[in-house]
Amino acid sequence: MYVVETDNLTKYYSRGKIKALEDFTLQVEKGKIFSLLGPNGAGKTTLIKVLLGIVFPTRGSARILGEDISNPGAHSRIGYLAENHRFPEFLTANQVLFYYGKMSGVEPALLKERIPQLLKLVKLENWGDTKIRKFSKGMMQRMGLAQALSNDPDLLFLDEPTDGIDPVGRREIRDLLKNLRDRGKTIFLNSHLLSEVERVSDEVAILKNGRLLQKGTVEDMVSVKQQFTLQLAEGYDLLQALCAELALPLVSQNGSFIVSVRDDAQLNHLIDKLRERQALIRGIVPRKITLEDFFIEVVEEKEVAAP
Amino acid sequence: MKLFAIIQLTFRESLARKTFIAFFGLSTLVNLLFLFALNLDIVDGAESYISLFGKEIDQAFELEKIVYGIESVVAVGLFTGGVFMSLFATSSLIPAFLEKGSIDLLISKPLSRFTILAGRYLGAVAIVAFNVFYLVGFSWLILSFKTGVWNFGFLLSGVMIVLTYAILYALMAFLGVTIRSGPFSLMITYAILFFSPLLLQREAIYALLSGKFWGYLLDFLYHFLPKTTELGNITRMLVQHADIGSWLPVLTSLLFGALMLGAASMIFKRKDF
Repeated sequence: MYVVETDNLTKYYSRGKIKALEDFTLQVEKGKIFSLLGPNGAGKTTLIKVLLGIVFPTRGSARILGEDISNPGAHSRIGYLAENHRFPEFLTANQVLFYYGKMSGVEPALLKERIPQLLKLVKLENWGDTKIRKFSKGMMQRMGLAQALSNDPDLLFLDEPTDGIDPVGRREIRDLLKNLRDRGKTIFLNSHLLSEVERVSDEVAILKNGRLLQKGTVEDMVSVKQQFTLQLAEGYDLLQALCAELALPLVSQNGSFIVSVRDDAQLNHLIDKLRERQALIRGIVPRKITLEDFFIEVVEEKEVAAP
Repeated sequence: MKLFAIIQLTFRESLARKTFIAFFGLSTLVNLLFLFALNLDIVDGAESYISLFGKEIDQAFELEKIVYGIESVVAVGLFTGGVFMSLFATSSLIPAFLEKGSIDLLISKPLSRFTILAGRYLGAVAIVAFNVFYLVGFSWLILSFKTGVWNFGFLLSGVMIVLTYAILYALMAFLGVTIRSGPFSLMITYAILFFSPLLLQREAIYALLSGKFWGYLLDFLYHFLPKTTELGNITRMLVQHADIGSWLPVLTSLLFGALMLGAASMIFKRKDF
């Protein structure tokens, strides 16, 4: 079963002048960390808002946890951390979690038990009785995350969750998200921090101008097919000669060599030749690029391709 | 439970904004004035001595009339000043919770948009009702115990004041949802509040206007808008046990409030945030 399904979801603003989402079709599987990537104004936040009933689609349909998005009933199993969220500043951290937990339909007795655990989870256990107006941006972000988890949701929508958080905090949040995923929760992440997304996501979708450009696993996106990085203890001249002999493209990069092969057989043939001539191989690894490189490549390619 | 939680939060918000405390403080001051400023000596069921703020009151007046008079002053004062202040104090409650980052969170929760708006609206009305009944209730008790005159009409005037506020706040809710500006919705509501006595005198205005269109317009406005002047008069008459000729101004004003609240709810239900 898909946890999130959209079918030709379209959202126009200003009577069609702004096309925030255009025929957007997507499925997200249960128990995955799914990330949305895209340049500013790509439609990432709009998609989350449509799914949560905060904005209404112009056309198309969507379901979350098997329920149509027009039914707020499914929201009791959803947690949401909004971008630039605002809590009532006159409340303490405990009161914020109690209030939003109650709004999510959690029983007060259960909330009283859960709130200290939530605060501990986001490292705010000593701040429960402090009014949140005194909180820093990073602390507010942690509060937002705790609030999103107050109803122990099956599906978590996080819009820029690490915004304003220091590197140590970001790692803690990454670990927390992985832990939630391992407990069977689905996390729908919206972030422009590509390195964060790369480290934590199982699947990624790239949007631009409200359209889905690419969707796949992070592994698929960062792997470059039929390219391998070779590291030799010595014998680079030999490698160059062999590649020239076998007509294999070879590029030098940071002390390593990147060789492009037609298939695995050709790679093994090259290795055999190297070993025959006593070359000392230290490593052969499939070439990978960063998610950022891939993202820029996809976004720019589509830009060029666009009429 | 969720509706109650929103009402409770609105209460807390007004507490935090100090408006509730200011309101409560003022009400307490009035109650204390009655408690200490009104002195009566009753001999054999009739007053032998009455003083207010230390000055003896003319014995020619009957005690009941005096009590009704005092309660009328409180009720009318509360109707005009109280409603005016309450609208001012609660004007930002709806636009503030519609701000981005705040309303998104509430909508993402498993509750209908109607519950969210109704909770906020009822929260504001509850704050005002609490303060009005605190002032009216306590001053009624003090006056009744001191004079032995138990005027339930005074308590009913409290209901009328809260009702008038609720009608006008429905308009503010509609404007708040539509325009999302507290000061603007306050200005429009005040304009209607002050326009009411003029509309009541519309027949005198007809003479100054040329053309029937203006006459029709004023008639339409009179029948459509809340009739705050008449509501004020009914409030006073309730206290004085006077004969209320017609309840129609109350009914049409209530209809206006319901219409505004319905429209606000419909718009809120379909709005993107």
